[in-house]
Amino acid sequence: MSRTAASAGQPNYRLIRYVLLAFLVIWLVFTLFPLYFAVITALKPVEEINRMVPTFWPETFRIDNFSGIFADPGSLKSLIDSIIIASANTALSLVLGTLAGYALARYLRGALGENLAFFILSQRMFPPVAILIPIFFLFDATPWGTDSYITLILLYLVFNMPLATWLMMVFFRDAPKELEEAAYLDGYTPLRAFFKVTLPLVVPGMISVAMLCWIFAWNEYLFANLLTGTTVKTFPVHIPTFVAGSQTLWNFVMAFSLVAMLPPVILFIILRRYMVRGLSLGVVKG
Amino acid sequence: MARLVLDEICKGWDFPVLDRLSLTVEEGEFFVIVGPSGIGKTTLLRCVAGLERLDAGRVFIGDRDATTIKPYRRGVAMTFESYALYPHLSVYENIASPLRARRLPKATIDQTVASVASLLKIDHLLDRRPHEVSGGQKQRTALGRTLVAKPDIFLLDEPISHLDAKIRHELRRQFHTLEELRRVATLYVTHDYSEALSLGDRIGVMGKGGLIQVGSPRDVFENPADLFAARVLGQPSINEFQAMIERDANGIHVSVADGAIRFPPAGPHASVLGRRQDMGISVGMRPQHLSVLPEGAEANRPTVTGSVDVYEALGATGVLIAKVGDQQMTVITPPEAHYQTGEPVRIALDRDHFLYFDRGDGRNLMVGPH
Repeated sequence: MSRTAASAGQPNYRLIRYVLLAFLVIWLVFTLFPLYFAVITALKPVEEINRMVPTFWPETFRIDNFSGIFADPGSLKSLIDSIIIASANTALSLVLGTLAGYALARYLRGALGENLAFFILSQRMFPPVAILIPIFFLFDATPWGTDSYITLILLYLVFNMPLATWLMMVFFRDAPKELEEAAYLDGYTPLRAFFKVTLPLVVPGMISVAMLCWIFAWNEYLFANLLTGTTVKTFPVHIPTFVAGSQTLWNFVMAFSLVAMLPPVILFIILRRYMVRGLSLGVVKG
Repeated sequence: MARLVLDEICKGWDFPVLDRLSLTVEEGEFFVIVGPSGIGKTTLLRCVAGLERLDAGRVFIGDRDATTIKPYRRGVAMTFESYALYPHLSVYENIASPLRARRLPKATIDQTVASVASLLKIDHLLDRRPHEVSGGQKQRTALGRTLVAKPDIFLLDEPISHLDAKIRHELRRQFHTLEELRRVATLYVTHDYSEALSLGDRIGVMGKGGLIQVGSPRDVFENPADLFAARVLGQPSINEFQAMIERDANGIHVSVADGAIRFPPAGPHASVLGRRQDMGISVGMRPQHLSVLPEGAEANRPTVTGSVDVYEALGATGVLIAKVGDQQMTVITPPEAHYQTGEPVRIALDRDHFLYFDRGDGRNLMVGPH
């Protein structure tokens, strides 16, 4: 009896596993094929790219595409500009979002706090293109004009700060209030208690938020293209400039894109360890 | 170094948790508040600490009116029921926290933490994080953090209730010997009556809205103000019976369940009960004041007969639940005794220690004006 039950059960499990694996393979093909094509395109000479029937493995390898893109001094500068803007914006988003999130989590509970928090998050929901033209005139009227670092650093706050505020609020709500109260009784003022006890507890959350903000600011194209482009040029704006006459140099475009993927990937690998750590680390009882 | 005075403090309007509660805890006194869960003991401590705002009343620490002083300037230290240790800091840093708050020099901090840690026997754990030590060690870390603070008032919220029995006994012994706790006013909250009786210089029984009775542990245990206080103290809890006072030619008798339990009360009790108009009372018998008579033994006390319902041997004692008429009676027996369910037993009543309560408001009839 038990043998038949077991032999009847096992093939079923195996079937489910095969189906799941098949889905995984299909998903991998869809996600990895563009990456694969970007890599081989970055390694081909232009002539091979322009064939009607594409090659799926480069016939001639052109490693020097990667050095070729940096022949244009604008390439390196655009990466540096992007790093400056993404990092400065992330820092600002984190500082503002952390403080605002804390205030919402601790001092504005109830209907007012909930509504205010949702209102802040809703800033993230409208289509950015709706405010493109007003934003242009707004920044044009500032002393630094549209084409400057500070423009994009401030502008990206519109998108990143609501997210940072909302997420930090959630993390602060999970941080036990009792620890802060214990700190008050130890003699810490609310501000010192915040830095000594509460902030360290949400550091893993802050790192996750920082990654999200940084990646958004790093990849943003629409506003960067419209507002900046001469004195300041981020890398997404720089990518379409790899042309010779009427011909797009796809090998350079792909090589540059791959280079631009490296900073977020490296950042993620370094910070992944801290992102997944548990929040309260077993504070309560035991 | 100061005494703590609570003057008619109130918390909660719709559901008053504390209703005009007044209490004075003298400098050096260890005051234990005992009461069932959810009665507002923790709220009381939080009010004293300043973590909750009072709705009315005042809190004095020494001569200072501390009612509106922020918790971080009150000079009050508290251990939380959950310990509230900082998870990202080592045991050392947890204990040092109140000293760091005062920005004391490093050498002073080192020395103070080391001495407190060795007192609490956690000096070998100083580098560990809270999640790397056991429950008892966490508790001692939390206690250490309050001890180094050298506060005017100590507040301890069920500090040892969640620990296993062995550590609980060890820590209870430590509380007796901690000099630091004996120099300031300490308010200790527990739901465990044995902690209250063992630790308290005075104890307060907390009921709905405030303190039902305040007194020395012995006094509160032997002369509870009402049935509620009698129930809170004692394990197994007190036997309660609805009883009638009966008068006949031989004097008065107390009769429970139509005479299944019937005995003449002890002399002093009889004179009080004899003056009552209302014949209905509640009688309370603590299990240790009842005993099972060996077969054929002469009794110099009133007895009742019943049969064994449940018997639990607990090592140091046994607990026998007997059926007498339609009533259940809990009796503490010597550890070597053994009983079978259904076995008939004769139970001797040590009536000198019985308690008599008003059936309406539960007040102890032998206490206060008769």
